[in-house]
Amino acid sequence: MIDALDLSTLSDDQRDALVRLIVTLADSKRLMGIRYSDWTLGAPSIETGVSMASMTQDEWGHARLLYAMLKTLDIDPAPFEYERSGDKFASLSALDREPSDWAAVVALMVLADGALSTMLRSLAQGTLEQARRRVPKMLAEEQYHMSMGSAWYRRLADSGGESRRLLAVATENMLPGLIAWLGVDDAAARSMVAIGVLDSAEDRLALYRDEVREVVALVGWDIDTVLGTSEWDEVRGRAVGRPDEEACERARGDRNRALLVE
Amino acid sequence: MRESVYDVFTRKERGDRLQHVGYVDAFDDETAKVYAWTTYSEEKWFEMCVVKRVNVLPVNRTDGLFVEAQDSSHD
Repeated sequence: MIDALDLSTLSDDQRDALVRLIVTLADSKRLMGIRYSDWTLGAPSIETGVSMASMTQDEWGHARLLYAMLKTLDIDPAPFEYERSGDKFASLSALDREPSDWAAVVALMVLADGALSTMLRSLAQGTLEQARRRVPKMLAEEQYHMSMGSAWYRRLADSGGESRRLLAVATENMLPGLIAWLGVDDAAARSMVAIGVLDSAEDRLALYRDEVREVVALVGWDIDTVLGTSEWDEVRGRAVGRPDEEACERARGDRNRALLVE
Repeated sequence: MRESVYDVFTRKERGDRLQHVGYVDAFDDETAKVYAWTTYSEEKWFEMCVVKRVNVLPVNRTDGLFVEAQDSSHD
């Protein structure tokens, strides 16, 4: 196994880049949990609703573990979790809006959750010691998310008609932002590759494309021809945009925290 | 797409007896596994497996859930 990264040797730029990476993963997990939780009631069956509840718990657990990784850089995660305005959130653009239908939730499971797992897999195999220890359990849980997402994706695609059309639309809307995020190759991302925290952008994209090629083809998409969005926010490490305000309030837990009595 | 009943079996520790803990409705084997794992999550199971009810062959009974599953498979 490659040697673990000595965090005390990081330059300021490398440190900022690592913070950006951790925060974009943590924010995405938290928003993913919110999007899943909205379908605990209203999913197509009781079993599916129970699975959405379970997946929500997984995502929020992953978010908590990822935010806590900031402590290894002597950064208090609390301001990131509870005090940022929505325009500072670094979550995936695919999570910016509430899924309008079940097909969009299924696309989130396969495409967005799948993109997060691809990035986490890269992180788990890199030089960041905390990721090596914490991420494999997350990925084991994510296998169930991908299994369920893929099965539902095939079912909706095979059903034809409106379900297939909605799935194709959701896929088209999500992929450019996800491809840009996974294939990010700006200065901060390159610095993470240089110190072995992540695989190269090409390797990450190749893995992701292999993962989703077959399913997106079911709705007429060729993953190898999808280009990433050019509207990139280098500070947050995500496509331009932000999550809706209600989701941000819920992610921060504003209302719950108002009830805290110190 | 029609859903099928899958029975869920678990054992808590290695060497424990495999026990029937419930069932889920699912449209294929993959979703059955996910539904079972997320629905019957009250324990840290050593092992869990699902069996499509229609594949359970009744031996001595001519009534009950497993016979009904056989009958419905011919619908």
